Amino acid sequence: MTDKTVIHVIDDDAAMRDSLAFLLDVNGFQPQVYESADAFLGAADRAALDCVISDIRMPGLNGIELVRKLKGEGSSCPVILITGHGDVALAVEAMKAGAVDFIEKPFDDAALLGAIRSALDALPDNRTGSSAKNEAEARLAELSPRERDVLQGLVAGKINKVIAHDLSISPRTVEVYRANLMAKTGARSMSELMRIALAAGL
Amino acid sequence: MTSQRRFWLRYGSAAVAAGLVFALRFTLHHYFEDRTFTVIYVPVVVFAAFAGGRGPAIFATILCLGISAHFLGDSLFTNPANLIDVSFFAVLGPIIGEIGNRLLQESEDASYRQAQLQSVLDTVPEAMVVIDERGLMRSFSATAERLFGWSAAEVIGKNVSVLMPAPYRQEHDGYLNRYRTTGERRIIGIGRIVVGERKDGSTFPMELAVGEAKVGKDRFFTGFVRDLTEHRSQERRMQELQSELVHVSRLTAMGEMASSLAHELNQPLSAITSYLRGAATLLKAEQVDKSRIREALDRSADQALRAGDIIKRLREFVAKGETEQSIENPATLLEEAAALALVGAREQGVRVSLRCNRDLPDIVVDKIQIQQVALNLIRNAIEAMETAVRRELTIEVVRKDSFAFFSVADTGTGIAPEIAQHLFQPFVTSKANGMGVGLSICRTIIEAHGGRINARANDGGGTVFEFTLPFAEPEAAHDR
Repeated sequence: MTDKTVIHVIDDDAAMRDSLAFLLDVNGFQPQVYESADAFLGAADRAALDCVISDIRMPGLNGIELVRKLKGEGSSCPVILITGHGDVALAVEAMKAGAVDFIEKPFDDAALLGAIRSALDALPDNRTGSSAKNEAEARLAELSPRERDVLQGLVAGKINKVIAHDLSISPRTVEVYRANLMAKTGARSMSELMRIALAAGL
Repeated sequence: MTSQRRFWLRYGSAAVAAGLVFALRFTLHHYFEDRTFTVIYVPVVVFAAFAGGRGPAIFATILCLGISAHFLGDSLFTNPANLIDVSFFAVLGPIIGEIGNRLLQESEDASYRQAQLQSVLDTVPEAMVVIDERGLMRSFSATAERLFGWSAAEVIGKNVSVLMPAPYRQEHDGYLNRYRTTGERRIIGIGRIVVGERKDGSTFPMELAVGEAKVGKDRFFTGFVRDLTEHRSQERRMQELQSELVHVSRLTAMGEMASSLAHELNQPLSAITSYLRGAATLLKAEQVDKSRIREALDRSADQALRAGDIIKRLREFVAKGETEQSIENPATLLEEAAALALVGAREQGVRVSLRCNRDLPDIVVDKIQIQQVALNLIRNAIEAMETAVRRELTIEVVRKDSFAFFSVADTGTGIAPEIAQHLFQPFVTSKANGMGVGLSICRTIIEAHGGRINARANDGGGTVFEFTLPFAEPEAAHDR
């Protein structure tokens, strides 16, 4: 059992914990579950963490605060945040705090397992290193200047209307640019787009 | 008629009457010669008194005295009998004048009062019917004509029972008899809602109030009738509007909760996805672990049911049903409402304690509406604690006399004094984007159920909302 990678799962919902543990277990990981961030901090050996999957909205310390705390302690452990309230602002906040990924419930196992594998793969080297940055920049290369402006607005956590006002265009046009952004970068979700944008240093 | 013309008419008619009696006296002078015969002047004075009052009566008396003096000549003074006779008449004239004047005044007053009364009776929205002891109609007001479709001329003198449908039509005389013999009042001075019948045979609900009057030996009954048809339909319309408003506010409450509900639904959906994908992964293995797969499938089924429960409760809550009273257990009612209202509360770090006394008697209520009140109060409480450090929510229902006593206590920011006074009035709110109708609707609902709702400051900071609902049956056994 010791050769398995330990994945720490933090969620206040019992069914969520149990189902995630089951999914991880059948996929060859060793899940360790906690019902709150505080319970996790109290129990886990923080020096030897492989990967953490945490819900965002929880009683006590929330997911984003947990990421900040771990990063503040200098931990390099990747944290994947999951949430039932997916919105751009929250995704940006999560990514800025240092989460490696932001996944909306309900999610496909492929999305979660993909996120875990890429997080674990990136573990040995610095994830903000040049290769990740280059890759992200490559995906953003095709964007027009206007599309970049809209993306910057999104990264700043602005809503469509505000971006439209700032750029003196209509909100409808902003929506079109957002659709273009997703298509050109090949991002499957808003959070993935945010991750790419942040990796590219936008 | 101008007062001057009336003056001339009054005194003129007195003078004309005096003239006539002068002519009469003249033609009869041959028989009377020097006898007084003052009796023939009395009708003149009486006529003048009734026609013109005191003044013309005195005027007629003076004229008649003059006529008398003219015919008697010297014998008025030489014959003492004549003098006495004329003197009597001189006194009698003004007295008759005074009596006539009184009668005139009274009859004028009476006709004035009559006109006033008539105008009142014609304008009161209630129809008025007066019957005598035998049940025969004596008076039938204009409103009664409109209401029953009969004209006064048609029904006066007929039995009042024509205004009632069977079986009252046959029994009404019996009611009158019973009252005459026993004096037992079933409707007089009490008033009740009965059914009336129009001329065309259609019936309608009416409120009947009956008064009794005794004039000498006769007894009259005056009935005031109010048509409730319109009244009823207005009441129904009000109820419809109110239930519409209540429903809209329920939808609004749900709209505000939409994000929490989406999250609540996402939990079981995520769990189901994970169980099923995991089970699918297990199936790919060479050695299929059937028991693990079955367990995963069972658990995902449980989660599907959990999602279904949330949706079912939501649908019940927003369903636009007729208001329906049913017998409910206060504790169950509150627990169900709390289950819906507490969606997302745990994530916000609110510590909830739900204390329900399960042994309370039942209450008869519109379940959805009461749950709406509870939900509203609980959501408000959670919202009030958003910025508070201590987040404790206490929800309970206990017995208080013959009422179920519900309370929702929070440790939030409390209510500003300027808001507190108008808390239950519509359009008063402390929320940035609230409409301020939630609590006013809560009060409407609770008061419609015969209960009361109020708010007070919580001892440890925050607010306590309390409302009462009467138990289904007053427990007389406890009081004995």
